Amino acid sequence: MTDVAIRTEKLTRHFGNLVAVDAMDLQVTAGQFFGFLGPNGAGKSTTIKMLTGLLAPSSGRVEVLGLDFAAHPVEVKRQIGVVPEGMGLFDRLTGSDYLRFVGRMYGLDQQTTERRAEELLEFMQLADRPKTMIVDYSHGMQKKLALAAAVIHGPRVLFLDEPFEGVDALAAGALKSLLGRMTERGVTIFLTSHVMEIVERLCSHVAIINKGRLVAQGSIEELRAGVPGDAGGKVTLEQIFLSIVGQHGGQRGVEPQVDELSWLT
Amino acid sequence: MADLAGPISLDDQIRLVAGLRWRMLINSLRKKNNVLDLIGMAFVALFASLLIIGPSFAFYFAGRSLVGGGRLPWLAIPFWSIFVFWQLIPIFAAGFGSRFEFRTLLRFPLSPRAFYLIGLAYGLADFPALASICWLLVMTAGTTAASPSLLPIMLVVIALIILLNVTLERLIGSWLERLLATRRSRELFLGIFILLMFSMQFIAPLQRQYVQRNPNPGVFSGLAKYLAPFPPSLSAQVITGAVRHDFVDMAIGLSGLTGFVFLFSALLWQRYVAQYRGEELSESPAPARAAPLRASRPLSGPHVTSTEQFAPGLLPPMVGAMLRKEFSYLIRNGFAFFLLVLPPAQILLFGSQLSGKHRVIAGMALNADLFFPGMMAYTVLIAIGPAYNAFAYEGRGIQTYFTAPLRFADIFAGKNLLSAGVIGFEVALCGVVLGWALGPPSIPTLFVTIFALIFTVTGQLPIANWASLSFPRKLEFGSMRGQRNSGVSVWIMFGAQIVLAGISALVLSTARMSGNPWLPAEGFAFLAAAALGGYFASLQPLSELAEKKKEVLIEELCR
Repeated sequence: MTDVAIRTEKLTRHFGNLVAVDAMDLQVTAGQFFGFLGPNGAGKSTTIKMLTGLLAPSSGRVEVLGLDFAAHPVEVKRQIGVVPEGMGLFDRLTGSDYLRFVGRMYGLDQQTTERRAEELLEFMQLADRPKTMIVDYSHGMQKKLALAAAVIHGPRVLFLDEPFEGVDALAAGALKSLLGRMTERGVTIFLTSHVMEIVERLCSHVAIINKGRLVAQGSIEELRAGVPGDAGGKVTLEQIFLSIVGQHGGQRGVEPQVDELSWLT
Repeated sequence: MADLAGPISLDDQIRLVAGLRWRMLINSLRKKNNVLDLIGMAFVALFASLLIIGPSFAFYFAGRSLVGGGRLPWLAIPFWSIFVFWQLIPIFAAGFGSRFEFRTLLRFPLSPRAFYLIGLAYGLADFPALASICWLLVMTAGTTAASPSLLPIMLVVIALIILLNVTLERLIGSWLERLLATRRSRELFLGIFILLMFSMQFIAPLQRQYVQRNPNPGVFSGLAKYLAPFPPSLSAQVITGAVRHDFVDMAIGLSGLTGFVFLFSALLWQRYVAQYRGEELSESPAPARAAPLRASRPLSGPHVTSTEQFAPGLLPPMVGAMLRKEFSYLIRNGFAFFLLVLPPAQILLFGSQLSGKHRVIAGMALNADLFFPGMMAYTVLIAIGPAYNAFAYEGRGIQTYFTAPLRFADIFAGKNLLSAGVIGFEVALCGVVLGWALGPPSIPTLFVTIFALIFTVTGQLPIANWASLSFPRKLEFGSMRGQRNSGVSVWIMFGAQIVLAGISALVLSTARMSGNPWLPAEGFAFLAAAALGGYFASLQPLSELAEKKKEVLIEELCR
């Protein structure tokens, strides 16, 4: 088993004249709980789409578990799980239908699919509405189902785009514990979130992207050490984020200039 | 503390809302940067203008001739026509999709009175209302031309009728909004509407069967007596009273109209006040109760299977899963299900009209050998349409196909298998219906039809798959408004069908010249085998194309 779960080399994506992701060199070690941060429009979703095969890079290379994604897409996809932006659910299936469909699509046999679908629905507290179609689920229920579908085949790398958005505290706690146990067993988790507290609590390593460029990468301690004026390691991830993105965000930084709204304050 | 702005006047609020609607219209035009769509919209606008202008002549001459000619009892008919148009068209429109959410205005500091008046103003800006007002005005011009002294009372009547109609339309709209707030009721409404439209097709045969044989005009004239207490008849009563200087009749008519206006206004006020107070209509999607967490039960450990571990079966597991998913989607989609039912129902309709002793069309006797393949071709023509936009209902689920470890060929195989199964089932059903209505075809014709079907369906599927990848168009469940395939995809379908029909015609005419009744069957058997080979050969290139087109697909379907 390779030590590196995800590696990108000069990964670039253009949309017309806009460079959404610019020559990104990213490296995630196997078994890490990895947080991927950036302000709105920084290129997080574009990156995660390229890492999961939903978007072709303009140039550069993606390697997952030692396999070149472009050369071995099916082999890579078999070993990864994804909760994409918008969740990717078929909304006219029931939760049970969907998990059974996804399980079979990932090559699980009928019996394993049935058993895991049942276990996951119970774990996600979705088993008590077996005939409800996904279109009638609440946002949080859809999110839990998307997570269940992402793990049903036991992936070795899990990509989660805002996984806790809209999930209630009770379920979020259980999910965090599940994801923690998965990383203990060697699963790599690549997560994007705007909630810094979640990333700080769950992730051992983070990368920060701003305007399509990777501006920082490392363990939270390493990033904390790089923040000027750190007093005794008490700097939060939010402060690290603002500090780093501010340095790379131009003259004014990224923090809104509250003084300009004097009529409101 | 921020400075708060002063109160805004009702006039300004109405002006702002009118500006908002205008801006929304302009923005919607800006989005449709496709020239063809713009041309289409221009045609719609032209058609809408003709729809208003054409009947305007009729209403003008109706007003003038009925009053001038003294045929006053018939005056209720134009009022009823306008009333029915104004009230029914918005109801049909409500079932076909979402309209502007007028309730979203509630976030602004509006008084209940302003909310009510803006609601009415909205009603007046709709097409049916504008058309109806236009017709009422030309009708006023017509009656005034016949009798100038009628102008004041006619203006009073049309003012009352406009207020009454707009109030009633908003009231019905508000009740409908409440009724259609849940997805299930929307789909039920759509189903009822489709059945209603289809049932209307049977009016002509029923009328031929019963009414033309036993005419009873008294039934229709007696209806007017029962309609007399309702607003359109009351309007006619006022005008009739004015012509005859019967002030009691006029007073009764005006009182009745005013009474209806007050009644509908009170009911509408009640509904709007409920909305103003924050009435919640949407279905609650939250689970009834949270099941206890089963953290103690461990989930099965990580396990990756390979394709070699599939359980043996008739179909590869991925194709089987796809087929199962497609079938679930088909039976849960009211509109797709309707398309499924339509061909056999149409055949049944044609059959019921053409069966019996006098089976003729345009003077030519019907022949099962001619009609049978023709009707089968018609069935394929309708039933294969959805295959040209095979991903229409996937929505965000399309991403699953690109994140799962599979070849796109499996997706197409599952989808095409269901399409072919549905077409096969429909053709068999239509065959039974036609056999009952026209008698069975000859054996050579039966074989020709079967092989020709295999050829035309499998010949079209690779083209349909290519069109589905290249020109996808997202469609919504339980909705009819704007639910059409991409224009390019429609042209491709027509083109493919014309080519295949041309080949079929060539085979049939060659066989006819040879005089051998089995020759077309042999020709189509060869073509069917070639089409099947072509279909299987197309799957791999289509998988590669899917990879290239994934961004287009995801962007279009995840919107």
